[in-house]
Amino acid sequence: MIESLFVLSPTGKVIIEKHWHELIPRRVVDFFNDQVSKAMAEGEDVTREDVLPIIASPKYQLINVYRDGLTYLSPVTKEVDPMMVFEFLHRIPDIMQEYFGQVSETVIKENFVTVYQLLEEMMDDGFPLTTEPNSLKEIVPAPNILNKVITTMGATTSVSTRKMPNGMSNLPWRKAGVKYNSNEIFFDIVEEIDAIVDSTGKAVSCEAHGTIQTNSRLSGMPDLTLSFVNPRLVDDCSFHQSVRFNKWESDKVLSFVPPDGHFRLMSYRVNLPSQQNLPIQVKPSINIGANGAKFDITVSLRNTDGKAVENVVLTLPLHKSTSTLTAQCNVGQYMFDPVGKVLRWDVGKIVPRERAPVLSGSFGFGSASSEAAANAGYNIGVEFLINSHSLSGLKVDVLKLFNESYKPYKGVRTMTKAGRYQVRA
Amino acid sequence: MSDAKFFQRGKIQELRLELNSDKKDRNYTRKKQTLKKIVANMTMGNDMSSLHPDVIACMSIPVLEVKKMVYLFLINYAKAKPEMAYEAIQTFRRDVEDPNPLIRALAIRTMGYIHVDKVTACLIQPLRHCMRDQDPYVRKTAAVCVAKLFMQDRHLVENAGFIDLLREMLVDSNPSVVANAVAALTEISERSDHIQLQLNMSIASKLVTALNECSEWGQTYILESLMFVVPQEPGDAEMLAERIAPRLQHANSAVVLTAVKVIVYLMNYMSREEDIHSMCKKLSPPLVTLLSNGPEVQYVGLRNILLVIQKHPEILKNDIKIFFCKYNDPIYVKMAKLEIMFRLASEHNVEQVLSELKEYATEVDVDFVRKAVRSIGRLAVKIESTAQRCVEALLELIQTKVNYVVQESIVVIKDIFRKYPNQYESIIGVLCENLDNLDEPEAKAAMIWIIGQYADRIENSDELLDDFLYTFLEETVEVQLALLTATVKLFIKRPTAGQDLVPKVLKWATEEVDNPDLRDRGYIYWRLLSTDVAAAKAVVLSEKPHISTETDNMDPVLLEELLLHISSLSAIYHKAPTTFIPHCKPRFLIPSPALRRQNYNAGRSLQHQDSYSSLQNSAQFQQSQSNNMRSPRSDGDDGGNGGLDEFVSSPKQPQHQRLSYHEQSFEQVAEASIGNQEYYEQKINAENPYRTDTGAVGGSQPSKGGGVDLMSFDL
Repeated sequence: MIESLFVLSPTGKVIIEKHWHELIPRRVVDFFNDQVSKAMAEGEDVTREDVLPIIASPKYQLINVYRDGLTYLSPVTKEVDPMMVFEFLHRIPDIMQEYFGQVSETVIKENFVTVYQLLEEMMDDGFPLTTEPNSLKEIVPAPNILNKVITTMGATTSVSTRKMPNGMSNLPWRKAGVKYNSNEIFFDIVEEIDAIVDSTGKAVSCEAHGTIQTNSRLSGMPDLTLSFVNPRLVDDCSFHQSVRFNKWESDKVLSFVPPDGHFRLMSYRVNLPSQQNLPIQVKPSINIGANGAKFDITVSLRNTDGKAVENVVLTLPLHKSTSTLTAQCNVGQYMFDPVGKVLRWDVGKIVPRERAPVLSGSFGFGSASSEAAANAGYNIGVEFLINSHSLSGLKVDVLKLFNESYKPYKGVRTMTKAGRYQVRA
Repeated sequence: MSDAKFFQRGKIQELRLELNSDKKDRNYTRKKQTLKKIVANMTMGNDMSSLHPDVIACMSIPVLEVKKMVYLFLINYAKAKPEMAYEAIQTFRRDVEDPNPLIRALAIRTMGYIHVDKVTACLIQPLRHCMRDQDPYVRKTAAVCVAKLFMQDRHLVENAGFIDLLREMLVDSNPSVVANAVAALTEISERSDHIQLQLNMSIASKLVTALNECSEWGQTYILESLMFVVPQEPGDAEMLAERIAPRLQHANSAVVLTAVKVIVYLMNYMSREEDIHSMCKKLSPPLVTLLSNGPEVQYVGLRNILLVIQKHPEILKNDIKIFFCKYNDPIYVKMAKLEIMFRLASEHNVEQVLSELKEYATEVDVDFVRKAVRSIGRLAVKIESTAQRCVEALLELIQTKVNYVVQESIVVIKDIFRKYPNQYESIIGVLCENLDNLDEPEAKAAMIWIIGQYADRIENSDELLDDFLYTFLEETVEVQLALLTATVKLFIKRPTAGQDLVPKVLKWATEEVDNPDLRDRGYIYWRLLSTDVAAAKAVVLSEKPHISTETDNMDPVLLEELLLHISSLSAIYHKAPTTFIPHCKPRFLIPSPALRRQNYNAGRSLQHQDSYSSLQNSAQFQQSQSNNMRSPRSDGDDGGNGGLDEFVSSPKQPQHQRLSYHEQSFEQVAEASIGNQEYYEQKINAENPYRTDTGAVGGSQPSKGGGVDLMSFDL
């Protein structure tokens, strides 16, 4: 059970404070801030992201989530399911994003009253209550232009005309009476590759995480069935609560009444074989001496079905004692951040059968270099995306619509991109 | 039109005028704006309480948004100014009977937050009505309100029939109501000294049906409550687990992990190996999927996985790659992954694991590097076939001369020497090259141990020890103890080389040092050496007990307990909840004919017995609790102000109620049974065939009347 919530600004100041049980004094926030700065002072590589999500204090367990510069802190005194707390804490910025388009200290302050109203509805006495955006929007109106006009015109809905929130219907995720002039539904299949690749180009570990993001703009109560050409490819999957699990178990189809608007229909995971041809190959070679190193990094395309790879960015964090760097590249541009000691190479787009991008150069360690610098390992973080491509090969077959008579426009897009993808040098 | 403008410190007087203005205010727009300003100021910490008469006057406005803001205001200030809440009571009374269910629900919800006696008194009657309201939204809100009320006044809730009303709600037609009722009951059961949730199969089955239709949070409540089902037959456990299994594929990781917890729990009551095996197979993929979430969820997942695989090693045994660390994982995730990698390491994958560990040893984070180096050593001890390669890897690391890597390597090499005597001594020379850089006590002690152990093989062992002895008096006790023993070993193995050193060390240890351990060990050696050198040799150079990584395994009793707490803070810390959370009810596997006997491996018979007696102790704890109910306790450490007060003030009534209740549920076993400890104990008596066994194994079984004594049993 969640007892209290503090939302802290990047400097650790309280922006939002809400207590569902006893009032927990703000001292706890000071203690938390101290712990965070203590943890970050432990090593030069320690960042805010390295701070433990659960910190013990003499009286409270400080459960916290750090997202986009803001900290969502929930001190608890009793045994609690931390997974539930994390899920709930993440919902708060999710919902704010949905309501306000972005989440920041300023946005929260600008929409202060709405935020409090939302928190009031999202949780009762420490039990998460309504967290479905569809249901919430019926209870707490989103601050859109229309709403503002209505408020200024003084045409508020009074209690008597207000409908029951849908929270209690059999389909808590879908509001009733949705109407569109043109009915359409879009599916975005996005696959992210998580991989560790060794310096020879062999994948040490490799898997694809797919999500099917859906944007439904369909009137009434449409009942959909989505089937795939090759559903058995998927190793593990989880669904939006609208999906009828039994149908998946028996027929491997997704049968559901969609919520209105954006939602994640399905996430899935595909274990890729270690001999999997990854779409891109990064070949680093770094020769380290006592005072510095020479390096060159080559990027080439491999298995992309002839498609171009876009937004290719390589980041190479260097040892903290690195003081100088010179480099040159034939494609894109590179940047060395002398404070964070990170080399970032913005390669851009790579088209098949064009010359392979190469970055080469050297860097030197400063006077304070040590054995650790000379023996440190290097890792390159890789980002890229490929449009109209699915690494796993999962393909949508058909979408059938029941319960409504209109013919909706249906759109499916696929995209593959790098998730946590890294190459060891 | 942003709310930020409301932040300007509204002058109280101005706001009051605005609220009371006579100007035409169609649809209360202006009132709403003013209230918004007041709420904004209030949340900023500006004292708005003096506005209360004006704000409360707004309560009668039939606009939900207005009501909500007034209620927020009341909740905020009622505690400090109870008289303010009195003024609102009339309106509350009206609102709980409002035709609009939203307003009814909002009214009881708000009243539940106002901890003022008069308001609470007014809440009881309407709350009862609301629990049977025709509208499910109201019923669901009312259920949570009971839990809220319980935190305020346990006796009130226990004596005013609310528990029975909640129990009725378990068979409500609306799944969300069921879920909230279950959540409230679980919450109350966890906090109460004499209410214990226990569900029979028929109610469990109904709950699982509701599971499919309620919200994600409702699903976690219902799943959690299934931990209070004690399957009487293996078939029940299998059926239940089978029906819960689809929850493993939920998008909400709290649902997934709670489902894992229930299934792992139910496996204790399954009989056929193939059922357990097939369940284990189902658990792996969702656990892997947890790791594709954000770092916090990964962390919780990893800590819990570490528990689950200790009990069921077949889970995830083929998924080790998932736990390989990415360089930009947060440190806490890396550390947790490393532990799991070590646990999953086996003959099949050891090559990959070792090459990963070598990779990690070159990273920048010192703690992580240390742990990686240490894991290489532990791997050598764990898997004999790989020991040679691990030693080579460690030697390579020592060559890097990175100080902390060298020290960490030496610490683990000591263990390797102990595990595989006379195999790797050829590397001692390399180790000795690094003596000067050792500055950590653990590394020093390890190196000194090695020198002492191989005093006869290391040519200049006496010189090396002499160097260390130079700073004897400044060293930590750990190092001093190692030096003392190593010097004695040297003397026994090479009397001429050690004869100058021994008297010096013994004199220091016995006369100059205050530490009793060191002094006593000094005296023992001294006497041994001066009376019987042969005996000294036998003692000092005796065969060391075998070491293995078994010692890394968690105490099976603790593991058993933690597995009942998967997805909780205890599972993160790997500590029993009773050790760090005040007034926490311990959990244990409740015996039933279906419960599998815990079979820890034969070499651990002692622990086997321990776990047994702990089971028994837990049962006794139950008993002692109920005994305490019968006779007022004299000792003061009553958990809350629960049992005793109540007992003294109204000795008969509550017990009577419970007894009748007990008859009802125990005889008919028709519905959920939430019994008191007494009921609980009888159930154990009646249905636990092991009970007498337990007494025999664990030794003295206290008589029933001896309950008060048992309170000394410290959980």
